[in-house]
Amino acid sequence: MDKKKNKGLKKKISVAYCTLVYLFLFLPISVIVVNSFNATTTKPYMSWKGFTLDWYVKLWDNSSLLEAFGNTMIIAGVSTLLATVIGTLGAIGMYRYRFRGRAIVDGLLYIPVVIPEIVLGISLLTIFAKADIPRGMLTLILAHVTFCIPFVIFNVRARLAGYDISIEEASMDLGANRRTTFFEVTLPVLAPGILGGALLAFTISIDDVIISYFVYGQTKTYPLKVMESVKSGVAPDVNALSTLILIGTVIFVVLTQGDLFNKKRA
Amino acid sequence: MMKKLVSVMTSILMVSMLLCGCGGSKAKNGELNVFIWTEYVSESAIKAFEDEYGIKVNVSTYSSNEDMLSKLKSESEGTYDVLLPSDYAVEYLIAQDKLEKIDRQVMTNLSCISDAYLDQPYDPGNEYSVPYEGGVACIAVNTAKVDKEITGYADLFDPALAGQEVVLDDNRAVIGMTARSMGYSMNETDRAKLAEIQDKLLTLKENVKLYDSDSPKSALISGDCTVGMIWSAEVALAMDENPDIKIVYPKEGAYVFLDNWVVPKGAKNYDNAMKFINYMLSPEAAKMNIADFPYLCPNSEALAQMGDEYVSNTAKNVPADVISGGEFVKYLDPDTLAVYDEMWTKLKE
Amino acid sequence: MKEESREKRIKKPSGDTLSALVMVGPVTLIMVLLVAVPLIYVAVMSFCSIDEYYNVIPRFTPENYERLLDADYLKIYARSVFIAFITTVLCILIGYPFSYVIARTASRKKKILYMLVIIPFWTNSLIRIYGWRSFLGSSGWLNSLLISLHIVSEPIELLYKNGTTILGMTYCLIPFMILPMYTAIEKLDGSLLEASSDLGAKPAATFFEVILPLTSSGIFSGSLMVFIPCLGYFFVSDILGGGNSDMIGNLIERQFQSGNNWPLGAALSIVLIVLTLVLVKLYQKLGGDMDALGV
Repeated sequence: MDKKKNKGLKKKISVAYCTLVYLFLFLPISVIVVNSFNATTTKPYMSWKGFTLDWYVKLWDNSSLLEAFGNTMIIAGVSTLLATVIGTLGAIGMYRYRFRGRAIVDGLLYIPVVIPEIVLGISLLTIFAKADIPRGMLTLILAHVTFCIPFVIFNVRARLAGYDISIEEASMDLGANRRTTFFEVTLPVLAPGILGGALLAFTISIDDVIISYFVYGQTKTYPLKVMESVKSGVAPDVNALSTLILIGTVIFVVLTQGDLFNKKRA
Repeated sequence: MMKKLVSVMTSILMVSMLLCGCGGSKAKNGELNVFIWTEYVSESAIKAFEDEYGIKVNVSTYSSNEDMLSKLKSESEGTYDVLLPSDYAVEYLIAQDKLEKIDRQVMTNLSCISDAYLDQPYDPGNEYSVPYEGGVACIAVNTAKVDKEITGYADLFDPALAGQEVVLDDNRAVIGMTARSMGYSMNETDRAKLAEIQDKLLTLKENVKLYDSDSPKSALISGDCTVGMIWSAEVALAMDENPDIKIVYPKEGAYVFLDNWVVPKGAKNYDNAMKFINYMLSPEAAKMNIADFPYLCPNSEALAQMGDEYVSNTAKNVPADVISGGEFVKYLDPDTLAVYDEMWTKLKE
Repeated sequence: MKEESREKRIKKPSGDTLSALVMVGPVTLIMVLLVAVPLIYVAVMSFCSIDEYYNVIPRFTPENYERLLDADYLKIYARSVFIAFITTVLCILIGYPFSYVIARTASRKKKILYMLVIIPFWTNSLIRIYGWRSFLGSSGWLNSLLISLHIVSEPIELLYKNGTTILGMTYCLIPFMILPMYTAIEKLDGSLLEASSDLGAKPAATFFEVILPLTSSGIFSGSLMVFIPCLGYFFVSDILGGGNSDMIGNLIERQFQSGNNWPLGAALSIVLIVLTLVLVKLYQKLGGDMDALGV
């Protein structure tokens, strides 16, 4: 009897505790959402001047903000794609073949994951400046691909750890060629790892500000645009876009994540 | 599941391409990459230029001359078409042969600029630069919260103001202000004097709550800070929001600056840059600019059209004696600047 | 088609080399050109000098490192390490019980709870940090609430302090702590815990002797993933710290931006890299798995 009471109390405490942590996590987001409805029109857009939906309309006139968002999506999309292809091939290749310098490449992969982003940012800046590569979309994509690849590789590798290479041999013995074996046997087995890596890469890419900050030239990404607006006070239209992105994210999660989890369990 | 994910990703990509398309559609007469101070050039003026000339303007911003010079150096030549450096930075850029000459043929609006601002020592004959706006770094006081009477830079070091100040995040401004409070020059190079200045500077540490060059008015308006050593127009804007805030021109003589339009060497859109600069010199553009960012306006025609309310507002239209009694920053040798940098690191440690 | 494949199989050695090249070549190329070469270049640059126009010139000097031994710089390193340490501890203290609870809830709800941790971090981190600034400012939500409830008469000053920076860092980095801990806790075998309590172990003993050792891997990798980025997140101390409590990241950023002294910035970066390597070594010594960091 006492034990049961104890358990109920414990449960209540843990629910209360988790609620607090979630509050902590969502608090600044609620500030963003609320401020996107603020009718204020004067910088620094701090005091509450009443409710309006205007900013969700005005947002579509702010071409530089939309362009920055578009840039972010293109950079994240292209980098994720490239990093996923290169990373997946790399992970399988490194699993399958022993070659000279493999240990070095392996060691290099950890660098973008562990060193502070600012170090990767300035090192890319110095090398791009030295090689006189104009900063812009190209350098941004190169930088993003660089820090995305390791995440893809590690995720694929985790999947490869439980991978039985003999099924490839079996497939080939049954007459399938290399390509068919790769696409019909190897890839499907690795798919959850590849997808997980790609998702992680995409998430990191869209939010990256520190590395992009050093290599952007004139191509502003959405986080860099936010950084700029933070300087003079974040305008409600930026908040409105962030709110829309948040809604988009939730929809995306609902659409895809349910399945993803089912697959993982299988 | 994979198909679903891929289709969601593709649709995101397509939407973003579409967005980019919207952004780029205006560029029928090419583009222009301008690199300017934050909170300094009116967005409506830029928009008006875009609409009138069909040129797409890409704006990047910086928070100090040093930021700009550094970025300019690290980027490839041709990244920027128009810059907006202060006096001493113009001199430095000319010395390094980093600027294109201004095409006087196009500068039809140069006649709107008052002679007092032309032919300055940093660019005699305005070969490379034309003036935009200017001002001083002065003091803002929230009189409702600060009893102490503040008359000069020296008062900012009063321990009574601990944890209340917002100052510019700009080492030349803050160190220069400290030097002036002691009767020294903002461009001091003498090591013994710099050591004295450093001792004084470090007493400011306890007083500063926030370093902000971009929008220091925000902290004054929100009430997070009650005293500021900030750009004059930032004070003027804070005064518009909160009448308790007053402007003080330091009795020691203020840090004066004049910012100028220039075109860096190798600019890809030189002709558009000239059109842009000439447009910015026009009275209409100047009026939009000072309406949003009320600094000292060299454009006498615009000033005449702004009316008495603007001209008589001493925070916006900085009085002539404040300018003549002030001091300009000069470019110093790297060794001295290294000392400045170390002092700055000490202050912010 | 069939002929081709047979041919390939016959020429196995050369085919293998080719496919190995196709698979491993791109990643090797990128890692060498965009990670190794730049870092080596930064290391070289840290021993270079600058001329009067701040151009990097290849004249050897140890001066950049000598400057870093200055008391001011040491103080900033010490503060950075201190802030990173406190942030890490806070992330563990807040994150562990939280991860424990969500990792051990019934499976259907668990997915939702897990996604609720991740969703906030899909919103831009700068704007969330700015959200904290709006919340904590003198005329922010918190102070307005406290004043309207007559709890305080004057706004409390919460912004632009070391504590504010720590709050922001904790906020930004806590998912990197929660996720690995969650993974570690989820793997815990429930029957083990039952066994422990059946054998008469008190809850505290079960926790310290069974649960904690089994989940320590998550804590270790989480700590590494929180501590190291914390040293470099210059924008958090800029936005919430008010710029008056610099961290290593701010120093580096300043030398590459306004300070314009790249060799000095490079030397600072090398110090940061060395610090990182030491921590990674420590992590490996404690039995940490490097692959766990990127998953």
